[in-house]
Amino acid sequence: MPTKAGAILIGLTSALLLVPGLSFGQREQTTVPAYDKLPDWSGAWSMVGGTVFDRATQTGEGGAISLGVRSHPPYNAEWEALYKTHLDKRDKNLFPDTISNCGVPAGFPRHFNLPDLYEFVVRPEQVWVLTENGPNIMRIYTDGRKHLEDQWETYTGDSVGHWEGDTLLFTTVALKGYRDRDVILDRTGLVLSDKSHATTRIRKVNPTTIEVQMTIEDPKALTKPWVVTKQFRKQPAGTRIYDYGCAENNRNPVDVKTGETLVLSPDGTPLNKD
Amino acid sequence: MRTSYKVLLGSLAVAELFVSIPPAIAHHSGAGFNNDKVMELTGTIKEFQFTNPHSWIQVIVEDANAQKVEWSLEWGSPNSLGRQGIRPSTFPPGAKVTVRLHPMLNGAPAGGFVGAKFADGKTVGQWEK
Repeated sequence: MPTKAGAILIGLTSALLLVPGLSFGQREQTTVPAYDKLPDWSGAWSMVGGTVFDRATQTGEGGAISLGVRSHPPYNAEWEALYKTHLDKRDKNLFPDTISNCGVPAGFPRHFNLPDLYEFVVRPEQVWVLTENGPNIMRIYTDGRKHLEDQWETYTGDSVGHWEGDTLLFTTVALKGYRDRDVILDRTGLVLSDKSHATTRIRKVNPTTIEVQMTIEDPKALTKPWVVTKQFRKQPAGTRIYDYGCAENNRNPVDVKTGETLVLSPDGTPLNKD
Repeated sequence: MRTSYKVLLGSLAVAELFVSIPPAIAHHSGAGFNNDKVMELTGTIKEFQFTNPHSWIQVIVEDANAQKVEWSLEWGSPNSLGRQGIRPSTFPPGAKVTVRLHPMLNGAPAGGFVGAKFADGKTVGQWEK
């Protein structure tokens, strides 16, 4: 029969045994960092360089619409052949930019390959990457949640991550890729499959530069991980970002029959057509 | 109509400067314009569509047969142009202007805007390049 002192000892021991459980629960809560511990990524930012997605492996001079320009992802034979057909169509103005119809998001990873300005909004529970062009929103959850096991594919996918010091590390899954022919990476015709996913690191490498390094994997299209780095330059203090009403006056729709990007007269007549 | 444009281009001594100036086209491919050629036209501003995804400068140009032809010159988004100081009032209707453009490949009265010079000498865009 336990003594009074023994009962107290058992009680204390039980309480101590319970602490790890409480502590674990508290850690779940504290995976969300304090706001004042987060880096300052405020301001307006502009992507450095043109919109060829992987400029590190680019061949040819000029931009994504220039003849001969391409980049070299580690495509397997099937997807390399598909990319070559896109390059041929691009050269004939028959590979449409999917955002020319003003109806769909740019999607990931093209989200980090757009003209106009960016904002990186850092909050404890989420980071929002806002693009003026589009506009587009990418939400990266940093509140400790996991990817859904039954997440369906979308343009920008599902992103969850955490902070390692001043570096945001996150994974992106559930991407549509080029499955429905409405997500591309750039106007050379780069595309990925609906099996693509990525691990991304974002950090401020100096006061005026944010660097985004994406490691893209795609068992359907790539033979090995594809690492692409994009940089963003800080714009002058006070820079404003505006509405981007893409459908306001879109005089460059895509001819759905041919894929040709049209140029419309003020009355809507295609000027490309002879 | 396309034939008359060709006459127009020849008879008005249009300057074709073979220089390469990158187009300010962010929304679509920009294909359809001859980005290796710069054409010069003189006319009157009809309208400046300061709109997304691209701005358009509508210019009335008189052709060789004294017919008024409306040209459409495509420029950047008002967002990026606005940050460079461009405003809806930059091209006032009725103003006389000389414009430079990358013409369409098929000769239609449109192109990618390069630069402009008004009667008072004020320039807009990449006129000096």
